[in-house]
Amino acid sequence: MTHTLKFSLIMAAGLLFSCKEIPITISDPFIPESDRVVLIEELTGASCSNCPKGSATIDNILSRHEGKVVAIGVHGKFLSYPTPKSKYDFRNQKAKELEAWFTGWQGKPSASVNRSVDPSSGLIVQDNPDLWLSGVERELQKPHVMNILLDTKYNTDTRQVDLEIAVIPLTDLPGNYNISIYLTESGIVDAQADGTVIIENFTFKHVLMDMMTKHSGDVLATDLEKNKVIKKNYSYTLPSNVPGLWNAQNMEVIVMVSRSSPTDVSVLQAASVHVIK
Amino acid sequence: MKIKFTIIALLAVFSVTKGQGTFSGAFETNVNVFLRDSAINAFNTPQYDRQFYGGESWLSINYSYKDLTIGGRFDMFNNSNLRVPTDSYSGIGIGRWYAKKSINKLEISAGYLYDQIGSGFIFKAFETRPLFIDNALYGAMLKYNFSDTWQIMGFAGKQKNAFSNYTGNLKGARLEGFFSFGNEESPVTLAPGAGFVGRTISDENMAGVVDALRTYQDVDRFIPNHNTYSGTIYNTLAYKGLRLYTEAALKSSDIFYNPFAVKTELVGTTVGKLEQKSGSVLYGSLSYTKSKLGLTLEAKRTSNFNFRIDPNQRLLRGLVNYLTPLNRQNTYRLTARYNPAAQDISELAFAADVRYKFSKSLSANVNFSDIKTIEGDRLFQELFTELIYKYKRKWQLTSGIQFVTYNQEIYEMKSEVPLVKTVVPYVDFLYRFDSKNTLRTEFQYMDTKQDFGSWLFGLAEYSIAPKWSFEASGMYNTHPKKANSKGEIEKTLYPTLGVVFYHEAQRYTLRYVKQVEGVVCSGGICRLEPAFSGIRFNMATTF
Repeated sequence: MTHTLKFSLIMAAGLLFSCKEIPITISDPFIPESDRVVLIEELTGASCSNCPKGSATIDNILSRHEGKVVAIGVHGKFLSYPTPKSKYDFRNQKAKELEAWFTGWQGKPSASVNRSVDPSSGLIVQDNPDLWLSGVERELQKPHVMNILLDTKYNTDTRQVDLEIAVIPLTDLPGNYNISIYLTESGIVDAQADGTVIIENFTFKHVLMDMMTKHSGDVLATDLEKNKVIKKNYSYTLPSNVPGLWNAQNMEVIVMVSRSSPTDVSVLQAASVHVIK
Repeated sequence: MKIKFTIIALLAVFSVTKGQGTFSGAFETNVNVFLRDSAINAFNTPQYDRQFYGGESWLSINYSYKDLTIGGRFDMFNNSNLRVPTDSYSGIGIGRWYAKKSINKLEISAGYLYDQIGSGFIFKAFETRPLFIDNALYGAMLKYNFSDTWQIMGFAGKQKNAFSNYTGNLKGARLEGFFSFGNEESPVTLAPGAGFVGRTISDENMAGVVDALRTYQDVDRFIPNHNTYSGTIYNTLAYKGLRLYTEAALKSSDIFYNPFAVKTELVGTTVGKLEQKSGSVLYGSLSYTKSKLGLTLEAKRTSNFNFRIDPNQRLLRGLVNYLTPLNRQNTYRLTARYNPAAQDISELAFAADVRYKFSKSLSANVNFSDIKTIEGDRLFQELFTELIYKYKRKWQLTSGIQFVTYNQEIYEMKSEVPLVKTVVPYVDFLYRFDSKNTLRTEFQYMDTKQDFGSWLFGLAEYSIAPKWSFEASGMYNTHPKKANSKGEIEKTLYPTLGVVFYHEAQRYTLRYVKQVEGVVCSGGICRLEPAFSGIRFNMATTF
């Protein structure tokens, strides 16, 4: 018993008088000035009760690094079905395919930042929204190697969007490259699960409505040469038979170029443009 | 890596040394053949889409010679869905090695070690294969026996993470003893213990914490500490048929993710954030047995006791400790369907278990558990009854009823869903035709208006001792509430057919299985446990 008491006292003393640490300074990293634009693909869902946290995190990131980040909300399969109070169903084939393409994630919300490997998860997806900002900042610290110029023409009668893309490598880039084109819509007010409640008037932003390319992207080119411009044209007709959705005023086209190798699918540059300028 | 090779080489050398020491070991393998069935959502994973096969194998070998024990374990995961149920994981290597040497009163161990302090509230290094948990301590451990009844143990190391290790550091100590006094025929015994664990967050893990805190508004920010200290004191008092176990554990200010905490955002608030707070667990268990009566009363209070090697980890990853659940661990399919995970942020739990043997042939068990948050919100409640009647050695009837209230909002992070309330009557009938042939049948019905709706479950198991057992079972959604992948609410049958073969210490199981899907959430992240459709083979043996 004496031993126990002595030991307990030593432990209690250890707890009470443990060494005091030198406090950590919480500071922001240095982000160089450049025209690099980072892509966040967020895996989310209307029935995902943790996902409003993901949306708030994206808002925070877009506000901190205005003009340097573009976001896409992928409503695929897992917890993406409408809530009992929902008006809309945001799931679509391309979103489901894209969600399935991002393997290894364990839950929602998850996000991929430039499809680069996250050092803490070891995957190209990170399921902790608190770490998305640092992922974006790591990407913004990397060299700016490409420009993407976009131009859209929208025909209000036919609802056709014509997209003109110019990809300009700023350095020689060996390897294979893909291009992905997303159509997103913001400002949709609908129900979203949030913890133990459902928010009936949640404003959804950057909802992936469809893609003009395959979910994994179309082939862009191989071994890109510095300043050798690659031009691409795409067209898409916005559906008119879905009440409340596909509002061209609130839609954006997002384009990104990524590496296409078995071990590296990272994004080099992203760009966005409104359907109606 | 060199150490692993040395251990394997040592094992090989000892294996050819005749007549010295003893070998022991175990082997287990799982083989899953995935058969896509979109009707029950068994699809859209790499295994269903293109791999079709997944499995795991573990081979453990131990060698003891005099006061030395060494051992190793080969682990293989081959397109396995254990680590992430929606994904495929492959990895092959030495999952464990260790060496242990006793020198008089001292015992020295090194390698991947399993141990715990008290009930595990502040430290438990353990392995649970079905959940891909292998929290072995990779380090060194010393145990010193002062006497036959007093022992002190100290350790330091890192926590295992699949085939690598987490970067944070752990160290700890434990002192345990035993007293006996009073009458020699019915003495009063005390088995006191005390333990301490210190955890230091690595610089790279702290960088993740700082990265997260940078995104927080000032109101939610804090200056994070690398070090956390936890201590526990416990004791078992026994007198005649009475046994009282008590434990109190405290943790100094520690960083952890609280999935229920309100976080201030640029606009509005969200739920879930990192916090830095101290925590505590208080636990007591009183059991009493006298002739035909057995009584157990338990109580546990948990406050902010999420203890991980890296605060950035979620779900089952990086847990340093283990919090014992107080509810009954049910085995029947439907009585085990709504099972509460021990809550580490806020939980106040009570349980009572009474067993009474009326005669040689008739016995009864009543179990009650009640779990709320410290603030008083209902989490779980269960009343379970069981009556067992044995007729000679010819047949046995086990029957009872279970009432459950289960908070899906908290345990599964579902929004605006009502408490799940179930009533499950069940019957288990075992009939012996002769000394070899036995038939066991199970029938259970779950009546509920929530979640998936009501279920019916039936099982028949015919055993031909000592080699064979054949089984067929079905789970049927009699009053379905949820739509399937086609958006239709359908009555679905989930059948299982199986055969088990025993040979000496070997057990071979082959089953055709269709299993309903579910969502499990913890730490603010939801995890899908997908439906299963396919064939499962398991083989396990010891030698």
